Amino acid sequence: MIPEIGHIILISHLVLSFIGGTLPLVAVYTKSKYFYIPVKKLSVFLFMLILMSFMILVYSFLVDDFSVAYVSQNSNINLPTYYKFAATWGAHEGSLLLWILAMNAWLIGFIFFNNSKDEDYTSTVFSIACQVMFAFSLFTLFTSNPFERILPIPPLNGADLNPSLQDIAFTVHPPLLYFGYSGLLIPFAIAVAAMLFRKDIKEWAGNSRPWTLMSCSFLTMGIALGSWWAYYELGWGGWWFWDPVENAAFVPWLLSVALFHSLIASESRGVFAKWSILLSIFAFATSLLGTFLVRSGILTSVHAFALDPERGLFILGILAFFIIGSLLIYSIKDLENQPTHSYELSSKEFGFLLNNLLLVILAVSILFGTIFPLIYEAITDGKQISVGAPYFEIILFPFALALGLLQGVGLYLSWGSSSSFKFLPRLIIESISIFALVLIILFILFDNLYLTSFATIFLFSWILMGTLQISKKRNLNYWSFLRKRAAVTFAHLGMAILTLGVAVVSSYSLEKEIIMAPDDSIEFGNQTILFKNTEEIMGPNYFSKSATISFSDGSNSYDVLTEKRTYIPSGQLTTEAGIKTELFQDLYISMGDNLEANIWSFKVQIKPFIRWIWLGALLVAIGSLLAGIKRVRRV
Amino acid sequence: MKKVFDILPLAIFIVLLVVLFSFLSEKDDQLETALVDSSFPEFSLFALSDDTKILSKKDISQLPALINVWATWCIACRVEHPFLMKLKNESTLAIYGLNYKDNRMKALALLERDGDPYEFSIFDFEGRLAIDLGVYGAPETFFVDKDGVIRVRHVGVVDEKVWENKFAKYLDE
Amino acid sequence: MNKFIPLIFLICSFEVLSDETQIDFNNDAYPFSSEAHEVLFYSLLNELRCPKCQSSNLAGSNSPISNDLKREVYELVISGNTSKQIKSHLVQRYGNFIIYNPPLEPATYALWFGPFLLILLALLVISFVRKR
Repeated sequence: MIPEIGHIILISHLVLSFIGGTLPLVAVYTKSKYFYIPVKKLSVFLFMLILMSFMILVYSFLVDDFSVAYVSQNSNINLPTYYKFAATWGAHEGSLLLWILAMNAWLIGFIFFNNSKDEDYTSTVFSIACQVMFAFSLFTLFTSNPFERILPIPPLNGADLNPSLQDIAFTVHPPLLYFGYSGLLIPFAIAVAAMLFRKDIKEWAGNSRPWTLMSCSFLTMGIALGSWWAYYELGWGGWWFWDPVENAAFVPWLLSVALFHSLIASESRGVFAKWSILLSIFAFATSLLGTFLVRSGILTSVHAFALDPERGLFILGILAFFIIGSLLIYSIKDLENQPTHSYELSSKEFGFLLNNLLLVILAVSILFGTIFPLIYEAITDGKQISVGAPYFEIILFPFALALGLLQGVGLYLSWGSSSSFKFLPRLIIESISIFALVLIILFILFDNLYLTSFATIFLFSWILMGTLQISKKRNLNYWSFLRKRAAVTFAHLGMAILTLGVAVVSSYSLEKEIIMAPDDSIEFGNQTILFKNTEEIMGPNYFSKSATISFSDGSNSYDVLTEKRTYIPSGQLTTEAGIKTELFQDLYISMGDNLEANIWSFKVQIKPFIRWIWLGALLVAIGSLLAGIKRVRRV
Repeated sequence: MKKVFDILPLAIFIVLLVVLFSFLSEKDDQLETALVDSSFPEFSLFALSDDTKILSKKDISQLPALINVWATWCIACRVEHPFLMKLKNESTLAIYGLNYKDNRMKALALLERDGDPYEFSIFDFEGRLAIDLGVYGAPETFFVDKDGVIRVRHVGVVDEKVWENKFAKYLDE
Repeated sequence: MNKFIPLIFLICSFEVLSDETQIDFNNDAYPFSSEAHEVLFYSLLNELRCPKCQSSNLAGSNSPISNDLKREVYELVISGNTSKQIKSHLVQRYGNFIIYNPPLEPATYALWFGPFLLILLALLVISFVRKR
């Protein structure tokens, strides 16, 4: 009975979002009070509906209602309770419900915290957002209904949640990522409303900026968590694979970063009006595109959801409707009525222009590279090719270099007129000093210097000093200065730290495949690795063969556990790595194959500075969230 | 000029949409063989049936022929087996087996029990000939023409339909 | 079956090679006489694709075909082959699919030159717009 209620509520959401997507627009254009609906109340109601529907699905998981097909496909009696909760978004259907929930949450946030006095404009933004939610609800109900039942005889037990998803990161990574993806809905709707109403650029840019910043923050967190999770879960020790699904999230991230930078210039100086609109549309488009790539089955990936061309077609249809629609408005409407200030090549405006150019072209290149194997297959009549990490890293490097150099000087630039470049010599000296310092520290820690890391380490120093701006002349004291710019300081500092992490882990990592019997020990890096013993462990829904390994650096020793788990319901095998986290490095070991008796193969790695990558990402997310929240209150 | 810039994003997006749409329609999960039109590779491996007998390329003498990669751990191979038996009985085409990373005793027992469609099976325990053929699983089937050249490779079960669509045309040459 | 391979290998190579070369074993699953060889081996494992997995390189896969290919790469490395030769050896058998770095050929010009052409194009457009 209860799943049916969830189903009906979803249908109500469909109907109401249709109403919300049409009536306000009619009211605005006919200026007739007859079509007026209370937008605030409707947004709350919509949110409550989807929340209830979502909670009913969660409830079905928690009570083991295997008559619901989705629950039986993704859960099991023996699944620990917190995973039952997370299993709600473990596969396609439930994750769509999460998407719709997230969109509703953003919409409520916008409706309640948006200070625009222009009701027509606000209602239009609301309407457009409702249209998108309607499209998603339609998609869910017609092709991906999570409330489908297996009746009259429901199964006694479920198939189990995919074992690689049975992990703590899975409870946070998808929600954060989806909130990031779906948040781009608001800037999109604002841009379209701005076009329809010929809104003043400074006004609508200021309106859109906080929402773009906050979406970017969630995307940052979602992506970083995904990277962290892949690192310790997959046993390979890598933190970014340039897998199609990873790229599908990275591209909207790049565009959202470009967008809020463009919006800063638009809000402050009224420039880039058309560009900001276009970028708002494309940021959301790539967000939808990511959804398409992951669920349509055209790209193979460790991540891909249900391989179903019919669903792919539907998503493509949604993409087509909204993006073609908005681009049509863009081509038809005359948007050239804003007088713009002119700006020099050495200005902040031009800096943002370059920033956008680099970010957008990088995003386009990554997108192209991701779908290229399909294009290649089509033009060579069937030949296959792979485009992976080596390619993307080669392409990324010059862009990252240029963006990093720009980031170091960006905060020194002023609007409009020629900025003085007196800061440059000081910046160079400061950066070189930090660079040298880092090299000394790395040599002390790891006994080695690698030429391949030099450029990126210098980039870290450059961005660091360009953000801290220690030597810039100011009227305030340094701490007040930093406090006023806390958000951008956090964010840029985060990028610097992330860069350092990447630099060190890319050049200083060590790896080796080894074979050991119990009581064997080997020397690796500056560690002695001892294979202590094996054990059989019984988990709630798995049994495992585990190996206790100790890492010792001479003075201290520390035990980690690595396991080979067999999950009982599905029979699937997973490898759990044993990791020791230190300040400057991770010690990583994962079990391989059982060769004979108690002899096992292992893969052991030392990953210096790898945590700094995610620490940096966390700072970026905090900075952008802070910036967004500050601006919401101000607007 | 301005109007061109305004329409450009729309045009680009429509092209992208069309491209993505075309990808949806075609779906073939197989890796095409890189060995098309190259000679069957040299090898030196023991026979499945006789662990003292060494086989090499010249033992694949009845050409054209099918080389079928199979193993006892491969469930789909069991599904394919009856069709191979049928082929053996109904056509003059020789079928050679490549027993892939398998247990000798189990493999022989299976052939004993279900029938042996092969002229002989090569015992490729380490998968070395398989690598030289670009094999990545079982079942896989190669068609080698009268000159010892590989013409086509199918990944997966060969049944009546696959035979008609993919292999039959090479027989007529 | 293939999980035995590193072990068998280790034992065999110990007997065959230990008198002729100074391979320091340290329980290595893939012993090397030179650090250059070891670096080459592990970097190749990251660049080569597992043909059977959905999306994984050889370094991140323990499937039978991956283990076999690791052995193949190992044997090629210690025989003194260069990175180019080893990749070409595998491409001959598995096609370009097996390397993650796409080759430079007419069909991939757009892929390799695209990004930089786009930047050039964008800079041209900007300077053109600024002149007005």
